[in-house]
Amino acid sequence: MTRWIEANSWTLGLAVLLAALLLMTKLIQPDFGASGLESLARAALPFALATVGMAIVVIAGGIDLSIAAMMAVASVTGAVLMDGATDAQSIPIVIGVLLLGLAMGAINGTLIVVTRVPDIVVTLAMLFVWQGVALLILNAPGGGIAPWLRGLITGSFGPDWLPRAIVFLAVVTAVIWLPIRRSKLGLRLYAIGSDPLAAFRSGVPVGQTRIVAYALCGLFAALGGLSVSMGTGIGEPIPGPYLLASVAAVVLGGVVLGGGRGGLLGPILAVLILRTVRMDLTLLSVDPNVAAIIEGSIMVAVVMFGAVLATRGRHA
Amino acid sequence: MKRLLFGTAMALGLTGMAAAEGYKIGISNTVQGNGWREQMVCAMKAEALASGKVESLNIAHRNTDAAGQLEDIRNLIQAGVNAIVVNPSNSEGINAAIKEATDAGIVVVAVDQAVTEPSAYILSNNQTEYAYLGAKWLFEQMGGKGAVVYMRGAAGAGADNDRDVGFKKAMAEFPEITVAQEVFTGWQQDQGKQQINDIIAAGVPFQGIWTSGIDNVIVDALVESGAPMVPVVGADNAGFVGQLSSVEGLQGAAVTNPGSVGGAGVALAIQILDGKMPAEKTVLVNPALWENVTDEGKAKLAAAANPNLSPEWPVSVSIDGWTSYTMDQIIACKGPGE
Repeated sequence: MTRWIEANSWTLGLAVLLAALLLMTKLIQPDFGASGLESLARAALPFALATVGMAIVVIAGGIDLSIAAMMAVASVTGAVLMDGATDAQSIPIVIGVLLLGLAMGAINGTLIVVTRVPDIVVTLAMLFVWQGVALLILNAPGGGIAPWLRGLITGSFGPDWLPRAIVFLAVVTAVIWLPIRRSKLGLRLYAIGSDPLAAFRSGVPVGQTRIVAYALCGLFAALGGLSVSMGTGIGEPIPGPYLLASVAAVVLGGVVLGGGRGGLLGPILAVLILRTVRMDLTLLSVDPNVAAIIEGSIMVAVVMFGAVLATRGRHA
Repeated sequence: MKRLLFGTAMALGLTGMAAAEGYKIGISNTVQGNGWREQMVCAMKAEALASGKVESLNIAHRNTDAAGQLEDIRNLIQAGVNAIVVNPSNSEGINAAIKEATDAGIVVVAVDQAVTEPSAYILSNNQTEYAYLGAKWLFEQMGGKGAVVYMRGAAGAGADNDRDVGFKKAMAEFPEITVAQEVFTGWQQDQGKQQINDIIAAGVPFQGIWTSGIDNVIVDALVESGAPMVPVVGADNAGFVGQLSSVEGLQGAAVTNPGSVGGAGVALAIQILDGKMPAEKTVLVNPALWENVTDEGKAKLAAAANPNLSPEWPVSVSIDGWTSYTMDQIIACKGPGE
C-alpha cells in the first residue's frame, strides 16, 4: 500500500489539487454544481484526448508537434463525410476517421524512423502539411456531425454528477491504452523512451515501436478532432490551441519530457486542473491578459514544487 | 498548506459574492492582440461604464477556437451573468452553448459576425457590403480592367467568407477585372507585408490592391520597394487613414468597419434587459467609404483622422444611435469597477 502511494504520489497530489480547486470553485460560485461539472468535462475532452496522445509519444521518448493539425484533419474529414449522412452511415465514417488518424501518426513516425531527422523537425514540418490538408478538405468551418455522436458527450450518465464526457474519455482511453500497457508493446514503449540503446540491445524493435507510438498519438488526435466536432457540431480546419496545452498537461501530469516515465492518469488530471483554473479565472472576472499569466505561473509553480518534493524524497 | 488554500478560497469567494446591483454582462472574444478586436473590447468596456447600468463585466478574451469559446460561454453561464456579448469564432460552432445560455434566461448578442442560433440577437457590420463597396470603388478606379491583388483575411473566418461574397459580386459586375494573386493575410500585419513583398519581387503585374484590413503595411511595402503606386483599398484603421492623406501619389479608399460594434452590442444587450426589444433580431451596421480622390472624400478623411488613436485601431470609434461613451472613455479602455 505504502509502495503504491509512493509510486503514484504525483498523481495523487494532482487529484488532491483538483479536488481543492473544485471546492474553491464552489466557494467562488455557490451555484456551481452538476451543470458546471458537465461543461467543465465537455471543455476538457478535446484537450484530454490530445494530451493522452501526446503523453504516449513523450513516454516513448518523442514529441509530436503536429497533433493539433492532425486533430483538424480528423475534425474536417469527419464533418465533411457526415454532413447529411444517416446514423448507420456515420459508424463506418467514424471508424474511417480513426484509421485516418492512425495513418497520419504512422506517417509521422515512419518519416522520423526512416529519415533519422529529429522528431521535433519532422513533426514541425508535418504540422504545416496537415494544416494544409485540413484547409484543402474544408476551407471554412462547416459540415455536420451525427446527432448520436453529439449525444455521447452531452449531459450526465446515470448520476447527475458524472458527466458523459468523462465517461467517454475514461472508456476510450481504457479500451485503447490498458491492453497495450499490459502487453509487451507497453513495456517496449517505456523501454525505448527510457533508453533506446538498451532497448535495442534487449531485442526491442526500436523503429517499429516508435512508429506504433506515433500511430497511437495519431489515433488519439483523431478522437480529439472528432470530439471538437462533437462539441461544436461542425468541422474546424484551423487547428485549435491543443499543441501547447497538451505538452503543458503532459509535463504537469508527471510524464518526463525525454521519455520512459509517467502514466496517462496524471496528464488527464492535469488537463482538468488547467480547465478548472481557466473556469475560476472567468468566474472571478480576472483581467483576461492577467489570466494567461496566472495560468502559466501556476503551471511553472506546480512543476517546480514537484521537482523540489522529488529531490527531498530522494535525500530522505 | 490546506488551511492556506482554504483561506485564499474564502477570500476569493467573498469578492465573488459582492452585492449585485445593476447588470452583470459577460463578454467572449477569441482573437487577442489584434487592434480591431482590442478596440471592440474597449468599446464594450466603455459602453458598459457610460451606460451606468452595468455592475460588472466578466471578460473571456483569449486566442482560441470554437471549442474554447464553447467553454468560455459555459463558464460565463456558470458565473451567472445577465447577458453575454460574443464575437463568434464561427457562425455554427458555438450554437450549442448559446442555446444553453438563452434557455437559462441569458440575453445573447453576437457582434461583428452572425450566428445561426435563432435565440441570439445579432449586431454586426455588414461584411458583404464592406467588400462590395471597396471592391467596386477600386475597379472603377482601375478603369474597369486590369489585375487586382486580392488580400483576404483569415481562411475559414465568417467575416472573410462574407467579404468574399461581396468581392465576387463586384467582380461579376466588372468582367474585365482579373485576380492577379489571391492570398490569406490571416489579418496579420507581418504576414501581409511578406506576401505583398513576394508578389512585388515576383514581378506579377497588378493595377490595384484590395485588402481585408491589413492595409498600412501594404502601402509601406509599395513605398519601400519603389513599385509604381496603384490604388489600394483598406479599412478605416488609423494608420491607413493617415497614409491616405500623407503618402505622395497614393490613391485609395478606407471602408469603415467599426470595432465599436462591440459597444453597440453591449448597448443592445442593456436595452433588451431593460425590456426594450429591437424590431428585428438582426441589426446590420452598413459601412461607409472614404476615398482620397475627390474633395468631398478628402474632407471626410480629414475629419476622421485622430492622432491619439493606435495605428491599428479603426478611426470610427463610435456608432451613431448606439454607443454613448466619449472618445476619452474608449481610449481609456476602462470598464465598470476598474
